[in-house]
Amino acid sequence: MRQLLLITDGCSNVGISPVVAAAHAKAEGITVNVIGVVERGESISSAEVEIEEIARAGGGMSRIVNTRELSRTVQMMTRKTVVTTIQQAVNRELRQVFGAESVEALPPERRGEVVRVIDELGESSPLKVALLIDASASMRPKLAAVEEAIRDLVISLQSRSGRSEIAVFHFPDSEDGEGCVCDLDWTDNIAGVKRILTRLSMRGTTPTGPAMMQVIDFFRQGDYGRTIRGETDGMIGEDVV
Amino acid sequence: MKTSSELRLAPGTVVTGKWKRGRYRVERLLGEGANGRVYLVEHGRRLYAMKVGGDAVDLQSEINALRALAARRRRAEPFLLAVDDFVHADGAEHPFYIMRYVRGSALHDYLQREGADWFPLVGYNLLVKLAELHEAGFVFGDLKRENVLVGEYGRVELVDYGGATALGKGVRQFTELYDRGYWNAGSRTAEGSYDLFSFAVLCLHLFEGRRLLQLSQTLLPQNRSPAELIRLTDGHPLLKPFAGWLKQALRGEFTSAREAAAAWQRILYGGGVKTPPRKRSSNGWVAGLFACTMLALAATIVWLMAEGVLPAGLS
Repeated sequence: MRQLLLITDGCSNVGISPVVAAAHAKAEGITVNVIGVVERGESISSAEVEIEEIARAGGGMSRIVNTRELSRTVQMMTRKTVVTTIQQAVNRELRQVFGAESVEALPPERRGEVVRVIDELGESSPLKVALLIDASASMRPKLAAVEEAIRDLVISLQSRSGRSEIAVFHFPDSEDGEGCVCDLDWTDNIAGVKRILTRLSMRGTTPTGPAMMQVIDFFRQGDYGRTIRGETDGMIGEDVV
Repeated sequence: MKTSSELRLAPGTVVTGKWKRGRYRVERLLGEGANGRVYLVEHGRRLYAMKVGGDAVDLQSEINALRALAARRRRAEPFLLAVDDFVHADGAEHPFYIMRYVRGSALHDYLQREGADWFPLVGYNLLVKLAELHEAGFVFGDLKRENVLVGEYGRVELVDYGGATALGKGVRQFTELYDRGYWNAGSRTAEGSYDLFSFAVLCLHLFEGRRLLQLSQTLLPQNRSPAELIRLTDGHPLLKPFAGWLKQALRGEFTSAREAAAAWQRILYGGGVKTPPRKRSSNGWVAGLFACTMLALAATIVWLMAEGVLPAGLS
């Protein structure tokens, strides 16, 4: 299972549209979630539409939250997306085996077993979450909360029984301001990392779309050397049966 | 993360189960849990609690935990009574389940009304409940004041099993203040010690609430630690006898909730009255009398069931 979580507070202003980039991600089997983060009293109504659309194109969910709620939201979204992804795969199986459209269509006494399977797969399937952080000027005061949320997510992921890894990126990069920087390569442990987000750029651009494209490519590079099962969804393939 | 749990049922609404056709009349809203709302409902002139879920899969996970617990406690009064769906007037389907209605109040309200003298007993009863759940293979997860209901004479019932997680898995739902991951005190893996940590924070929340909240608001994330919590354990006179116990729970030193409950109990009665050793003969006599009483009780129950006085339970 692969997820891209974008944390931002504004609109993109350079390069490819992030909505198009999110649709690319979805085609690659990567679910895109977006969190718009605000400080008390701040309004980002202009960015809300874009945030919602990115998530919709990426098959994920979006939320606008306060910095205080950030850790909790990151954790819940990641978990909920895992369950939804598994559920979609299980629903496909249900259609073939029982002719039922979804878990909900089964009588309650038959749901128990199916949900046990969903819970089990949700816990044990390998999971990769790439976090893409908007580090433009207005986000600076919120980055401490972002770092805390990332550490909190790692605690949750370490408690899963399946292999779980995160990678962290931020944008813009300092070279041309049109891409992203990789802060952490795939890892399951960040105990030794003092600061996650470093090498922040002073540029004023917000290249959300191009940065997302780079992260998608990063996922693809990670796929080299292993065959992709279940091309249609690129997720759990034969594990479900 | 919008769910259909936005649904609110007005008092007087009659809900009819789609599969089993049971009819339940909504009396009022009892509370809100993580996975849905709980209503007081009437069915066959008796009161029950009904939980209406936003998401069938989330609610079913909760039901699975309740079933596992029920299988474990066969002799106890059943808690989970029926599972069904209903179709709302707007066409949307909602999963629900019916459980025993527990009359009681939230833990902090109870102690405020009935007095803090009840705290050691309520704490013990809660630890026993947790031990039972752990022995059924689950951790409660989201232990907090609001999820502990206290009835007459300090009887305890856990409500909202939305966080209940099979042992060894990642805890499904938790509240930051009570979470050992948040306090840098360990993982979020479902283990008995996870609930015991939350239990210890719960005790601190009851008697040192202000200092606890202050800690969570002022400490930098990397400085949150069990040691900071341990500092709160010996300030309040009611907590003081339990300071050693709380320290062990916060450090994850108990191997099981059963062991932790026993340790708690020793504090309750430790240093009690010294009594001379009892004579054997009188013990045997009391045991004999007790056996007779139990036989009579069993006979009465059989007779009541035969006469149809006791309800046969819901299906």
